[in-house]
Amino acid sequence: MTTSTPSRGRRRAPTRIERAAGRAAALQKPRVILALLLLLALTCVMLLDGYLRAEVGGDERVRSGASSSKVPDKILNGGPILTFRGGQARTVSVPDKTIALTFDDGPNPTWTPQVLKILEENDVPGTFFLVGSMISRYPDIVKTMVEDGNEVGVHTFTHVDLSYQSDARIDREMEQTELALAGAAGITTTLFRAPYSSETDAIDNYSWPVYQKLGEEGYTSVFVDTDSDDWKRPGVSDIVKWATPKGSKGASVLFHDAGGERSQTIKALPEYIKKMKAKGYTFTTISGVMEKQGAASRQAAGTGAAGSAGASGTQTAGASGASGASGSGAAATAGGQGTAPGASGGAGSTGSALQAAHHKATGTILYEGKALLAAVAIAEWAVPALSVGLMIVGVAVIGRFGMMLILARRHYRQRNRRRFTWGPAVTEPVSVIVPAYNEKECIANTLKSLAQSTHPIEIIVVDDGSTDDTAEIAESLGYPNVRVIRQDNAGKPAALNNGVRNARYPIVVMMDGDTVFEPDTVHRLVQPFADPGVGAVAGNAKVGNRDTIIGAWQHIEYVMGFNLDRRMYDLLRCMPTIPGAIGAFRRDAVLEVGGMSHDTLAEDTDITIAMHRAGWRVVYEEHAKAWTEAPGSLAQLWSQRYRWSYGTMQALWKHRKSLTDKGPSGRFGRVGMPLVVIFQVVTPVFAPLIDVFTLYSMIFIDFRAALLAWLAVLALQLTCAAYAFRLDREKYRYLLMMPLQQLAYRQMMYLVLIHSCVTALTGGRLRWQKLKRTGEVGTPAGAGR
Amino acid sequence: MFVDTSGRRSKVLRRIGLLVGTVCLGYTAVLAMAFMGWGTSLDPSSLLPFDSGQSAQRPGFGQQGGLGRQAGRPTATPSATSGSSSTSVTGSSSTAASGSSAAATAG
Repeated sequence: MTTSTPSRGRRRAPTRIERAAGRAAALQKPRVILALLLLLALTCVMLLDGYLRAEVGGDERVRSGASSSKVPDKILNGGPILTFRGGQARTVSVPDKTIALTFDDGPNPTWTPQVLKILEENDVPGTFFLVGSMISRYPDIVKTMVEDGNEVGVHTFTHVDLSYQSDARIDREMEQTELALAGAAGITTTLFRAPYSSETDAIDNYSWPVYQKLGEEGYTSVFVDTDSDDWKRPGVSDIVKWATPKGSKGASVLFHDAGGERSQTIKALPEYIKKMKAKGYTFTTISGVMEKQGAASRQAAGTGAAGSAGASGTQTAGASGASGASGSGAAATAGGQGTAPGASGGAGSTGSALQAAHHKATGTILYEGKALLAAVAIAEWAVPALSVGLMIVGVAVIGRFGMMLILARRHYRQRNRRRFTWGPAVTEPVSVIVPAYNEKECIANTLKSLAQSTHPIEIIVVDDGSTDDTAEIAESLGYPNVRVIRQDNAGKPAALNNGVRNARYPIVVMMDGDTVFEPDTVHRLVQPFADPGVGAVAGNAKVGNRDTIIGAWQHIEYVMGFNLDRRMYDLLRCMPTIPGAIGAFRRDAVLEVGGMSHDTLAEDTDITIAMHRAGWRVVYEEHAKAWTEAPGSLAQLWSQRYRWSYGTMQALWKHRKSLTDKGPSGRFGRVGMPLVVIFQVVTPVFAPLIDVFTLYSMIFIDFRAALLAWLAVLALQLTCAAYAFRLDREKYRYLLMMPLQQLAYRQMMYLVLIHSCVTALTGGRLRWQKLKRTGEVGTPAGAGR
Repeated sequence: MFVDTSGRRSKVLRRIGLLVGTVCLGYTAVLAMAFMGWGTSLDPSSLLPFDSGQSAQRPGFGQQGGLGRQAGRPTATPSATSGSSSTSVTGSSSTAASGSSAAATAG
């Protein structure tokens, strides 16, 4: 195919140099940079959302059955609180008759507030080990938690088994959680509990180094004495039973306030608290335990009591002596329990004793934490919004296809019934208007095809100030019924108006200078005018150059998109556009609505809508075929679609009053315009979401399921296209191009649409738009149309 | 239709575009920093709980917390107590002796 762009038609294509310069400038244009930045932000939003839901970078591995040969015995047999101060590992036990309630995996919007309420009602504090991704999503709950006087600890960011992770990952999990905590409650914490941990005797050779590393960084690792196993949901009584330590021993007790259905936990907790209180137990936080043991040992040291009474780390009831004897310590802790306003700076050091692991977050970490939570809030809002967009486009795509198939079938059967007729056959001559600007290659073919028309016609060639002898060629062909009218270059709308004014007959056919008709095209095209209500007829434009990739794409689009759509719009009486390549109008009707206008770039859409508003019926005649040459390069295609998109928006805006009009104008405004807006504006804008979500799901969620869903959408479109091809009796082999076409077209149409929206918003003037004639400005030379 | 010859609309949109672009860039930057954990400098001395009076971040907490340690910088004590404090008492019969010695050195 020829690569040089002949100056043809109403739009003169730019030269090669102009094109190259244009491309370089386009890439630097601020809008491209902005578009790329938005894409970057969108990617970040989706990745963040996936990360928070463990879809991105999630690791479900849990270690089991590893040996603990390298873990010191004193740790394995020690208490549930593991510290590494001074580089030495030591454990602390919970003193007798003391319970440290610990809750893992929160905060959860359903269960955690209920737990907090129970704790407050029963006047006991708890220690919550929080997952960073949940803190990010529900920061308010954490703030309340801390203000209520509870203690919080880190439970990693994504709930991974740290023994499988690299040092870098461990650091990130901890730091990210601290950031989230700082943003949520203005504190950081030094308590830690590893996911999938339990009692100290379960520490194995792989997790021990993790605890050592975290200990060096200053973290206190907390384990479990009694596990209520509430996550197994065994029933309220079992939960209470398993959570109860033997005799009067103290215990760090594990409950879960998140991670599944926790209604049993909610029921069991008050029972448990009351039961233990009845046995004389007191409740405290982990720091409360440390404080108690510290007071006890100081007491013991002070009175010189035997080591077992107060030495730190005794597992058995060294605390029994302590809790009785250490008056100040006990009083402090007893007073400290449940004093609700846990303001750490408060008069009672008791409040801060229970939250001693908390440190106020200031400076960088506070601000970064707050920024992180803001970013999370945006993502949490954005992704559901995009999902809604995806749903909209899903409904629109399926709805459109359903409508098209039903209505197209009806249209086909109705119009092709043997007995169908518009009325008495139309045999009077018609005027065919051919506007031409520099069409020296094509005008001869055009006129030749018209000369073979079976219907009596007069041909009016309106030469729009061509510079390449188009008019001379037209005249030289010597056809008897051809009239050539010359005018100064004024644009296609003006040329058509000129032709209509000079037409002798009551019906005019409008076409492009490079369109080729078949012999019976005109005859078929004008038959609908036998019905006096019909004001205009749209013909069937076909792509001639369909053997290139771009040509084949457009061929599919013309057959499926335009022509299938036109059948639907015909029946619904809201066709928005008669193709400029082949359309017929009543001459009087055209003059009545003011002729073709310069107001928009899509004069064909403009006049069609105007006809609707004037009460005329616009129909589609599938058997009136015209052959056009579609744009052969991506740049030309882009240019064409950009103009069409912008022009359509202009036309819709120009006729926006029809929304509130009465009668046929109102019908178009309330039925046709919304349909056009939904299918030609809304759907293209949201359609790429199909591909975005498919890509995301394929990579991060489930490759096969996502791919299958995408293929299902494609299959739907293929079915529709095949049906359209069948109705038009086209060869099916072009459908092979369809998958690529759908993918590429979605992105291109979306970009074109955004481009034209931006242009409309910024009020810039396109190259093709004419300046308003004020007399001060001359006709821009070579401005094209 | 839509053409605005005064260029005012395009100026407004340009500013909006700049704002949006900056927000996007900032958003990405915040996430990158948070993900890498930059800016969260937590060093051990500020993390250790009950750090006897060292951490200025806990106002009003008068009690010298600590499991048997006197007031004194943690870094100084290891040398003195490294021998005995590491043995977390496990309830063996020798506990009493080592326990009291721990108490003694600490006290």
